[in-house]
Parts: sequence; C-alpha cells; structure tokens
Amino acid sequence: MMKRLVFMSGLLFAVMLASPVFAADGKALVGSNKCGSCHQMSGPAVTTIAEIMKRKAPDLFYSGNKFNKEWLVGYIQAPTTIRPAGTVYLNNIKVEGDTDVVANVPKCASKLSAGDAGAVADYLMTLKEDMPTGTAKIGKFKKAKAKSFMFKGEACNACHVDPRKGGGISCPTFEGIGTRLNPDWLYSFLKNPQHWDPKVWMAKRDFEEKDLQLMVNYLSSLK
Amino acid sequence: MKDIRIFKVTAVIAFVVAMFFGNVPSADAAEKAADNYKLYCVQCHGTAGTGKWVNAPYLAVAPRNHVSAKDMSALSDDSVFKAIKSGGPAVGKSTQMPPFGGILSDAEVSGLVKHLRAMCKCKGK
Ligand code: HEC
Ligand code: HEC
Ligand code: HEC
Repeated sequence: MMKRLVFMSGLLFAVMLASPVFAADGKALVGSNKCGSCHQMSGPAVTTIAEIMKRKAPDLFYSGNKFNKEWLVGYIQAPTTIRPAGTVYLNNIKVEGDTDVVANVPKCASKLSAGDAGAVADYLMTLKEDMPTGTAKIGKFKKAKAKSFMFKGEACNACHVDPRKGGGISCPTFEGIGTRLNPDWLYSFLKNPQHWDPKVWMAKRDFEEKDLQLMVNYLSSLK
Repeated sequence: MKDIRIFKVTAVIAFVVAMFFGNVPSADAAEKAADNYKLYCVQCHGTAGTGKWVNAPYLAVAPRNHVSAKDMSALSDDSVFKAIKSGGPAVGKSTQMPPFGGILSDAEVSGLVKHLRAMCKCKGK
C-alpha cells in the first residue's frame, strides 16, 4: 500500500515537471539569458519620473497583451531598433550648444537560437494583464482619412516616425508596427496610454470611438 | 437629539480626516515642475528650451523658444496655461503642441507656467 502511494506520487511529480515543457523552458531561458537585468518582467509599472529615468528597456510583463507572437519569435533572435533615441530618450541625449543630439543608444541584447526563441516567446505570451479583447474592429477603412487625422490633425509624427515621411524620434517608430503589435492592445493603449505605463511621455487624449478604430486600422496595416 | 449630535460630530471628524488624508496621494503623485518639463517637454522644446531637440526637424512649426523673453512675454499666463492643458489649437496655434490636461493636474500645469516664467526671466502679457 505504502509503496504504491510513493510510486503514484512519484509519477504525479514527474508528470507535473514534464507537462508545461515549453513554458518552463522559456521561463528558465529568460532567467539564464538575464532578460530581467534590463527588462521589468513583472508588474506593476513604475510611477515616478525618478524611476522612469532608471528604466533600461521596455517592460515585458504584459507581452502577452502587446505583441504578435510571430513577430516576437523573430525579434528576440535578431533585435532591431524600434526606438531611434532609445528606451528613455532623456538618457541618450547630449547637449551641444543649445541643441540636443542623440548619442550611443543601447540596443536589445537578446540573441536567442530559433529553438530557444520559440520557447521564450511561448513563455512571454503567457505574461498578461487585464485587458478587454475584441475591442479593435479590423476591416475596411479610408487610408487617406486616417493619415490626415493622425499626421495633420493630431500630429502623431511630431514624436513617431511616419514610415513615408519620417518623424520624431522620442518614441517607437510606426514602421512595421502592424506586424509587431496586437490590434486590441493598440486600441487599449491609444485609449489610455497611462493605464499601461503611468509615466509614458505621450499625452492621453479623449478620442471618439470611430477615430480610435480608424487609427488602429491604419497602424495595423503598416506591415 | 443626542444621536444627531453624535452623528454631526462624527461627520465633522470624518470630513477633517478626509481633508488631510484624502490629499496625501495627490500631493505624493505631483511631480516637480522641472521634472515634468524634462520628461514631457524636452522631446520637442529641447533641454535648453530653445526648441532645438531632435524631434524639431520633423515639426512643421517650430516649438516656442521658452528662453526667449521677447517671444514668451507676448503670451499671458492664462494662454500659456491653456496651451499646456488643452494643446496648441486651444490658443489658435498648431496641433503639434499636444494637450497635457489628460495626464497633468491643474496644479502641475500652473507649476509649469511658473517654471517657464523662470526660464524666460520674463512676465506674462
Ligand atoms: C542589455 C539590456 C537588455 C537585455 C539583457 C535584453 N534586452 Fe530586450 N531590449 C533592450 C532594449 C534597450 C530594448 C529597446 C530596443 C528599441 O526599442 O530599439 C529592448 C527591446 C526588447 C523587445 C521589444 C519591446 C517593445 O516593447 O518594443 C523585446 C520583446 C525584448 N527586448 C526581449 C528581450 C528578451 C526576451 C531578452 C532576453 C533573452 C532581452 N530582451 C534581453 C535591452 C535588453
Ligand atoms: C509627445 C510625443 C508623442 C506624441 C505626440 C504621440 N506619441 Fe505615441 N508614444 C509616445 C511614447 C513616449 C510612447 C511609448 C514609448 C515606449 O513604449 O517606449 C508612445 C507609444 C505609442 C504606441 C505604442 C508603440 C509601441 O511600439 O509600443 C502607439 C501605437 C502610439 N504611441 C500611437 C500614437 C498615435 C496614434 C499618436 C497620435 C494620436 C501618438 N502616438 C502621438 C509619444 C508620443
Ligand atoms: C510634440 C512636440 C511638443 C511637445 C511634447 C511639447 N510642445 Fe509645446 N509647442 C510645440 C510646438 C510645435 C509649438 C508651437 C505651436 C505654434 O506656434 O503653432 C509649441 C508651443 C508651446 C507654447 C507656446 C504656445 C503659444 O501660445 O504660442 C508653450 C507655452 C508650450 N509649447 C509649452 C509646452 C510645455 C510646458 C510642454 C510640456 C508639458 C510642451 N510644450 C510640450 C511642440 C511641443
């Protein structure tokens, strides 16, 4: 009887260890690759300017809400520049006379093999915060109207790179943003950027529902 | 009768307590004007306030030079407050000056107006 119980619990233990193979591997790889030495891997996000100044890399604790998985798998094998002036632009500027210039922007250090990247992406996609889904209504939209709303009306390109004409560099580029980000997260972020990052230097604006959908559709189309 | 008095006293105490403690979080949350300027404004107006930050080449309109006494004294404190809180269009200027009322309290916006007056070493119109 006793022997059987020991055997059974041993079996149960082995099954528990083996079953979430990917998630467990991915988590271990995030640890051994020290992603957390630059990225915040658990919430909540920081709430003061002093803490923002110490941020080395974007928060990853809501990766499962934010990213498209296919993009993530590729990015962590060969990261590219998303934020032309770095994660916190203020940390990467030099003042020359009365003009600010960008200098020495640190890059993402992730260099995972294809196999490891799959496991890490699987794990990162499990990191989620509360967010309503199904809010983005992707469909037909008027591209010219979207561009005029965003780049003439709201001047989003004052801070973001517009892939056709360039733009500001104090935050992420719009190039390839549709490949990178989940449309539902885009909707949620545009509705209230400070919900995700209380000290993000993008102002919250009261957009109408139709304008939110217009922007989400346009941004999602930038592949 | 006595009940009502006790109720009134309790209400007054509750009110006083709320006045004190209710204010604490917002006082904590308010940042110094100089820090707000750094985080939110430098990206377009520049560290020196002259409008020469690297976003500037992409702006169709040059950001206001905050250290120019000539430019800044032409604006009243009220209109500067409005520009920061509600954005350029609220004062008949470009949308490239964003509205910050959604993330900064009125007290923080007033703090920025004072900060700008210290930068230009000038008074409002
Ligand atoms: C030395 C610091 C450092 C380490 C270590 C590091 N990263 Fe990064 N990572 C960065 C920086 C800086 C960026 C911002 C790059 C940009 O925006 O141009 C970034 C960006 C990213 C992004 C895009 C985030 C976004 O919101 O746009 C992902 C995903 C990412 N890193 C994953 C990882 C993973 C996974 C690891 C571990 C295997 C890792 N990083 C290790 C510094 C680091
Ligand atoms: C004052 C500068 C500024 C303006 C103007 C601005 N943004 Fe942003 N935006 C930011 C910053 C800062 C971030 C986040 C930085 C980060 O994640 O590292 C951001 C992030 C975003 C993101 C998420 C991108 C990502 O890769 O994580 C989207 C989408 C976005 N902005 C859309 C817009 C739209 C649409 C407009 C115009 C209505 C706009 N922004 C105007 C500063 C700005
Ligand atoms: C996205 C870029 C951008 C950011 C960020 C920005 N500004 Fe501006 N600002 C401008 C531009 C462009 C103008 C000029 C508008 C015009 O002349 O039509 C301007 C004009 C102004 C003016 C003059 C308004 C007037 O009536 O002439 C004030 C005051 C001002 N900004 C304060 C601020 C403060 C304070 C902040 C930070 C909280 C800030 N700005 C952040 C771009 C920006």
